[in-house]
Amino acid sequence: MGELRKSFHEELDEIQAGIVRMAALVTEAVPRATESLLESNLGLAQELITADDYLDDLSVHLEERCHHVLALQAPMASDLRALSTALRLNAELERSGDLAVNIAKATRRIYGTRYDATLRGLLVRMSDEACRLVRLSIDSYVDRNAGLAAALDDIDDQLDNLNRECVQAVFQAHNDGGIDLQAAVQLCLISRYYERIGDHAVNIGERVVYMVMGWLPEYTGSARLQIREQHHLGEAGDETIGE
Amino acid sequence: MIAVVVVLVAVAGFVLAGAVAWRERRHFVAAEESRRRHDEMYRRHEDEVAESETRLRLSLDAITQGVVMADADGNVLHRNPYARQFTDARHGEALVEAAVAELLAEAAEGRAVEREVELFGPPRRCMFVNALPLELGGRNYGSAALIDDITEPQRLDAMRRDFVANISHELRTPMGALSLLAETLAAESNPEVASRLAVRVQAEAIRLSAIMDDLLELSRIESDEAAERAPVAVQELINDAFSRLKPAADEKQVPTEAVLPALDMVVWADRRQIASAVYNLLDNAVKHSEAHQTVRVSARLAGGCVEVEVRDRGCGIPLRHQKRIFERFYQVDRSRERTDGGVGLGLAIVRHVATNHGGEVRVESTEGEGSSFTLVLPAADEASTAEAAEAASRQEAAAALPIGAGG
Repeated sequence: MGELRKSFHEELDEIQAGIVRMAALVTEAVPRATESLLESNLGLAQELITADDYLDDLSVHLEERCHHVLALQAPMASDLRALSTALRLNAELERSGDLAVNIAKATRRIYGTRYDATLRGLLVRMSDEACRLVRLSIDSYVDRNAGLAAALDDIDDQLDNLNRECVQAVFQAHNDGGIDLQAAVQLCLISRYYERIGDHAVNIGERVVYMVMGWLPEYTGSARLQIREQHHLGEAGDETIGE
Repeated sequence: MIAVVVVLVAVAGFVLAGAVAWRERRHFVAAEESRRRHDEMYRRHEDEVAESETRLRLSLDAITQGVVMADADGNVLHRNPYARQFTDARHGEALVEAAVAELLAEAAEGRAVEREVELFGPPRRCMFVNALPLELGGRNYGSAALIDDITEPQRLDAMRRDFVANISHELRTPMGALSLLAETLAAESNPEVASRLAVRVQAEAIRLSAIMDDLLELSRIESDEAAERAPVAVQELINDAFSRLKPAADEKQVPTEAVLPALDMVVWADRRQIASAVYNLLDNAVKHSEAHQTVRVSARLAGGCVEVEVRDRGCGIPLRHQKRIFERFYQVDRSRERTDGGVGLGLAIVRHVATNHGGEVRVESTEGEGSSFTLVLPAADEASTAEAAEAASRQEAAAALPIGAGG
């Protein structure tokens, strides 16, 4: 028994290390994407697009491993939560990596476009902020810090604001004739990609809260719906009684 | 009779048994003795092995590179402290650990392998990992990996490369213009055109000599590390720099303002060097500002240091360049140099002045929002502050005298 549990926990540790490694790839991919965008570095963009295959491969193997452990060890309680969290984080991180690739691809689409310093500054700030969120989310995961994990949603507000500011700046640049419509659309999308990376970090935070406390923030919406439905049923029931 | 025989046999039996027991015991004692000796030898040997292993481990730990040792099956046996920082690393550093594991596995199969792991951070780092099989006399003893931080060597390498390219470019541009202008001038007969060309020749010559002046200034500051120190009032420095820059700032319509909370701030410095540093910071700020973007200078005391901050609202410096702008001839945007007349030596001068005085210069900048440079210098102690104040008042009195005499 002791031997079995030890190997099981070693397995869990290795799965966690896999998640940390995927997150590391994401936090490295985002600034690379930004650099390829700002420096119009097509070589770097291509490198990123190719490197994403590696992340995908890691993700597939990690998922397989999680399923393997689930099937063979039938973990319970916090162990089960740790595993299901790893599965979700795996998907979130894989998607974040894809978003970094999207930025690299957009870089290729708008190759040759020059945009002003304000816009460049905003893009850099969005990139930094998105990276910071991913880092914080992984810190909360490794440290089992539910407080930090729960705070990510509010920390993300800054990135949302930057996104709005960035879209405004793109419109402004387009109005001033600095960039054409196609580039403007791509830049808005890029801004949105950064913002989405932040959202994935917030999702990771929610899952970490679940892992640590066994409580899912998402259930609040579901609980609201149930209450509404019950209320509705109750009203309907009252009516029938009334009749 | 029978009884006597029985007794005799019994006695003989006892004697025999006693003899056998005594012999056995002797054997036993001898065996015990030899075992004890053997044990002791073994223990001593074990101690020696442990001691030698500890010594080896401590030597590995003393190495400033990362060292990871693994057995033939790929299980890690030892990491020195430098390598240990990557084991539980998160974010970018986790990739170094992954690279170490992969390379160790490859080395265990008998191949020497290496890889560069570039981390965008922040901070940006470049790690070099190489792994080699540990083999002796055809036997495999496992593998070892070395981790090396090559960020700084790489940066220095790039700096050296760029320095040579830049200095030849900076000198060649005005030289090329000069030779071209001279050639045209030689063939020109129209005096009006000739004089126009001569003006251009003069402008290029001034440009060239400005580069030379900057270079000389830089080399003087670089070699003059133990400069003559005296108490210098910060306000004076800023005022001097402002008055020198006023024409350029007015022409560009760049407003300037100074915020000096404590009027008697004094630094212990070489006046000429420090004046050059403050002037260069302000000059840069004005150069990189558009019309109506205010340049602000402020100074404050912080923990025994005077911090002089020059902030502009100009175009800002891309993050990628911020680490390198203090290098000689480094320029973020080469296309600007013609219009601005700068060659990229100003900040190199500022940094050298700062380090000469045991201080530092920091930069914070966001593209599109402007930059802020902070020059940190050790503040002068109270005695020298008073001395400087006295000197300043004497200077003022001396300056006031001729006016008074004239009036």
